[in-house]
Amino acid sequence: MRWWSELRYVVKKLNRRRAERELQEEIEAHLEMETREKIADGLSREEARYAAHRALGSVALATEDSRAWWGFGRLEELLQDLRYGARMLMKKPGFTLVAVLTLGLGIGANTAIFSLVNTVLLRPLPIAQPEQVVTLNFGVPGRGVFPLIGYPEYTDYRDRNQALAGLAAMGMAPVGLSNNGINERIWGLHVTGNYFSLLGVGAALGRVIAPEDDLTPGGHPVVMLSYQCWQQRFGADAQIIGRSLLISGRNYTVIGVTPPEFRGTELASSPELWFPMMMKPGLEVGRGPLKGRTSPVSTIGRLKEGVSWAQAESALNLIAAQLGREYPQADKGQIVVLTQPGLFGAAMRGAVLRFTAVAMGVVVLVLLLACTNLVNMLLARASERRREIAIRLAIGAGRSRVLRQLLTESVLLALLGSALGLALAYGAVAFARFKLPVVFGFTQIELQIDWRVLVFTLALSLLTGVLFGLLPGLQATRPDLIPALKNESTLGGYRRSRLRNVLVVAQMSLSLVLLLCAGLVLRGLQRAQQIDPGFNPEQAVEVSFDPGLRQYDRERGREFQRQALERVRSLPGLQAAALTAHAPLTSGESGGKGVFIQGDEPKTATQAPIVLTTSISLDYFRTMETRLLQGRDFTAQDDAQSPPVAIVNEAFARRFWPGENPLGKRFNFTTGKWIEIVGVAQNGKYSSLAEEPESFVYLPMAQNYESKVTLIARGAGDPNLLTATIRKEIHGLDENLPLYDARTMLEHMDLPLAPARAAATALGGFGALALLLAAVGVFGVMSHAVTQRTREIGVRIALGADSKEIFKLIVGQGALLVGIGVGIGLVVAALGTRLLANLLFGVSALDSVTFVGVTALLTATAFLACYVPARRATKVDPMVVLRQE
Amino acid sequence: MVDSPLERFMRKQKDKPIDMLQGTLDLLILRTLLFGPIHGHAIAKSIERTSQDVLRVDHGSLYPALQRLERRGLITAEWGTSENNRRARYYRLTAAGRKQLTTETGKWERLTEAIARILNPDREEA
Repeated sequence: MRWWSELRYVVKKLNRRRAERELQEEIEAHLEMETREKIADGLSREEARYAAHRALGSVALATEDSRAWWGFGRLEELLQDLRYGARMLMKKPGFTLVAVLTLGLGIGANTAIFSLVNTVLLRPLPIAQPEQVVTLNFGVPGRGVFPLIGYPEYTDYRDRNQALAGLAAMGMAPVGLSNNGINERIWGLHVTGNYFSLLGVGAALGRVIAPEDDLTPGGHPVVMLSYQCWQQRFGADAQIIGRSLLISGRNYTVIGVTPPEFRGTELASSPELWFPMMMKPGLEVGRGPLKGRTSPVSTIGRLKEGVSWAQAESALNLIAAQLGREYPQADKGQIVVLTQPGLFGAAMRGAVLRFTAVAMGVVVLVLLLACTNLVNMLLARASERRREIAIRLAIGAGRSRVLRQLLTESVLLALLGSALGLALAYGAVAFARFKLPVVFGFTQIELQIDWRVLVFTLALSLLTGVLFGLLPGLQATRPDLIPALKNESTLGGYRRSRLRNVLVVAQMSLSLVLLLCAGLVLRGLQRAQQIDPGFNPEQAVEVSFDPGLRQYDRERGREFQRQALERVRSLPGLQAAALTAHAPLTSGESGGKGVFIQGDEPKTATQAPIVLTTSISLDYFRTMETRLLQGRDFTAQDDAQSPPVAIVNEAFARRFWPGENPLGKRFNFTTGKWIEIVGVAQNGKYSSLAEEPESFVYLPMAQNYESKVTLIARGAGDPNLLTATIRKEIHGLDENLPLYDARTMLEHMDLPLAPARAAATALGGFGALALLLAAVGVFGVMSHAVTQRTREIGVRIALGADSKEIFKLIVGQGALLVGIGVGIGLVVAALGTRLLANLLFGVSALDSVTFVGVTALLTATAFLACYVPARRATKVDPMVVLRQE
Repeated sequence: MVDSPLERFMRKQKDKPIDMLQGTLDLLILRTLLFGPIHGHAIAKSIERTSQDVLRVDHGSLYPALQRLERRGLITAEWGTSENNRRARYYRLTAAGRKQLTTETGKWERLTEAIARILNPDREEA
C-alpha cells in the first residue's frame, strides 16, 4: 500500500512546474500571514516583511530541500548527469567525434567477431532441447577421432546402447536436380527414419521423413525440401506436396518442407533436400565384405533423461569394446568420443576454437588500444577541467558524486561509440554474409546480430566506459584543490604525465604486436604464392561433373567420361586434357584410404595408415605438368583386365620404403588385390598449401572407376572462353547433366589462400588503425610534455642551450617511451605469433624481415609524432617564458 | 598536552549548531495535525506556541518535512481557504499517519525516559 501511495505522490510531482508553483504559493501565503501578524504587532509593512523573512529562514533552501522529495533519487541524478554529460560532449564536438570514432571502430570490430563466435559456438541449434544432443566421434587413441562410421556399425551402436534415447544417422551427398529445364548439382542429406523425431523438428508444410519411409534399400522415393530450396527454386509453391521431382535421374515425391530456421545440425553444410537413408546409393546395410567402410555416415544421438555426458560416453565405449571383439578386423581398438553437434565433431571444433580465439584476441587488443587513447584524451581534458572540478569539490560535492558524473560522461561516450560500432558491425556482417560462404565453404554460417550480440555490445560499452573513465576520473577528483583553484600547476601534473607515459608505452607495444601479426601473415601469403603445388595452374581450366547424378551406371559412366575427354581433346588450340577424381587443393574433398604394405605385419582396418588417393585418366601428368621422377606413366594397357598398378609420390615411397627402390613394390587398401607400383611422381600439395609433404597415390581410372570427376584442360588463349567451350562440348553429350566448379586453375588456387588473405586484410586493417592510434597517443603525450616543460626549456635556452640540444632533449624523452614500448611489444609478439603458424605457409613465426621492417615502420612513425612537439620546443622564446613568472 | 580522542570529539561538537533531532519535527507535525487539518503556518505557530517558543520552525525544515510526510503517505494535502480568505494548503493526518504517531510517540517517550535516567541517576534511585 505504502509504495502505491508513494508512487502516486511521485507521479503527481512529475508535473514540476505545477509542484513548484504550489510550493511557492504556499510559502508565500505563509510569509504573508507572518507579515500580517508582525504588522498587527505594530511594525510597518516593509519592516514586517523583513522580519517575517528573518524568522522563517531561507525560501531558496526550503524549495531546494523540498524538491529533493519529488524525484526518483538516484535515477533523477543520473538523468541530470546524462543531460550535463551530453552538453559537455556537444561543447567539444572535435573531441567527441574522435572519441566516438575510435570507440566505434574498436567496439564494431568486437561486435562483428563476436557475432561470428555467437553463430559458430553459442547459438543453440533450432531443435528441441539442444543440450541433450551429441555427435559421436570414432577413432583409435592417439590417431584422432572423426565423426564418421560405417552404416552397419551405426546400427550396432543404435540397437545396443542403453544411454541414448535415440541415435540417428545422416550422410551428405550431391544430387542432380532437374527442374524447369535447369539441371543443378545440389546437396542432399540422407537421414534415418528417426532423425526428425529425435531432433524434435516438425514440417513447415506436409510431413517429415518417418521410420516407415526408411525400411527397404532404394524403396522409398520421397524427399523433403529445405525451406530455402522451396522458396528459391519452387517459388514457395503451396501445391508442392505430392509433386514428383526428377532427382539424379529418378522420380521422387515431395512429402514436406522443413521449417525456415532448421538447416540440419551441421554449420558447415546445409542440405537443400532430405532423403530417407535407404535411398542413399550404394548403402551397405549388413556387415558384408566391405565392412561398412564404403557407407560412412555421421551420427547424432539424444541423451536419455538423467544420463550424463560422461555416463553416455562410457556406455558407448563398452559397446565399442564389444564390437572390437566381435569384428577385430574392422573395429579393434575403436573408441567413442562425444562432442556437441554443429562443427563436424571433434575434428573441426578445435580449429574453429583456435581461429575464433585468435580473432577475438586481436579485436580485444584493438579495443584496448582505443581505450588507452581515450584515457589519454580524457586525462588531457581532465587537466583542462581541473578548475571546474575543483570548484564542484570546493562547494561541497562529494568525490564519489563528481566521479559518478565523470563516469556518466565516459559511459555516454562509450554508448555513442557502441551505437556506431553496431552500425559498422551490421555492415561488416552483411558483407561477410555475402562473402563468407565462398571463403570458408561454410554454407550455414549466417551471421546474425541477435540479442546475445546486442547484450555483448552493451556490456562491452559499459565496461569500456568505466575502464577508460575511471582512471582520469580518479585523477581529476584528487582532492588537492587549492593549487587547482589558483590555476597553478603542481606536482600532480608530473604524476599525471607519468600515467600518460605508461599508456603510451602500452600503446606502442600493442600496436607493434598487431602490426607484426599482419606483417607475418602478409609474408606468409607472399610465400604461399611461391610454394610449388606440384602442378602448373597457369593456362589450365577445370570443370567437374558426375554422370552418376543422371543414373549412369559404371559402364555408361565410363563411356560418357571417355567421350567427354575425347571431345575436349579434339578442341583446336588444346594442349592436353585429363580426368581426375579429386583435383588437388579442392576444399572439402579427400580420397583418404587405409593402406597395407605387402610384407608388413597384418593390421586391422583402424590401424592402417591413411594416405590420400585419386583416380586419373591417361595424360594426367602431362596436363598438370607434374613431373614423373621414376618408372612409367599409366598406359592404355593398364585396364580392368590387367594387374592393378599405381603411381605414388616421393613422400609415399620414402615413408614406406626409405632408401629402397619403390618400383615393383606392392600394397593394397585394406582389402582387395595387391597393387604394384610402376612410377614415382614429384611431391605436391593436396589438401592445403601449408601442409608438410603428404603421401599420395595415383590409380588408373580404368581400374578404379569414380563417377564424379574433374576434367582439367590446358590450352593457350582466353581461359574463360575455354571453360565455356568445354561446357558446350560436355552438354553436347547430355544436356541435362549438371556441370559445376567450372573455373580456371588460378581461380581454383585462390580458394585455399582465402582464409590467409582475409586474415591479412583484417590484421592489416587493425594494425594500421593501431599504428594511427599509437601515433596520436605519442603526439598527445609529447605535446603535453613540451607544454609542461616550457619553463625549463626557456631557462635552458637562456643559459645557452642551442636548439639542437633542446630538440635532442625532447626527442630523447619520446625515444625512451617508444623504446620501452617496442621492447615489450617484441617480447609479447615473439611469444604470441606462433598462434598464427597455420596461416604462415612455412614462414617462421619469428621472421626477421617482418620483425625488423615492422619495428622500423613503427619507430619512424613514432619519431614523426615526436618531431612536431620537439620543433615547437626549440621555438620557445626564453624572454616570454621568464617574464611569465 | 596530548589531545584525547574524546576531547577532539567534544571540541568538534561545540563548533556545530545544535539541530533538532532527526525525525523530531516529523513527530511534532503529526501530533499537531491530530486536532484536525491545518495549514503550514498554523503548524509552525502551533509548535512554537505549545513549546513556549523554545522550538522555532523555519521554512527550511518545515516544507521539506511536509513533502517527506506526504510522500510517505502519513499526511495528505489539499487546497482550502484560510481564516483571512487566502488560498492555503491544508494538511490532514491519514490512517497510516495516526498509526505512525502512536508508535513514534511511544518510542520518543522511552527515549526521553532513558536519557533522563542517564542524566539524573539520583532521581531514579529516589
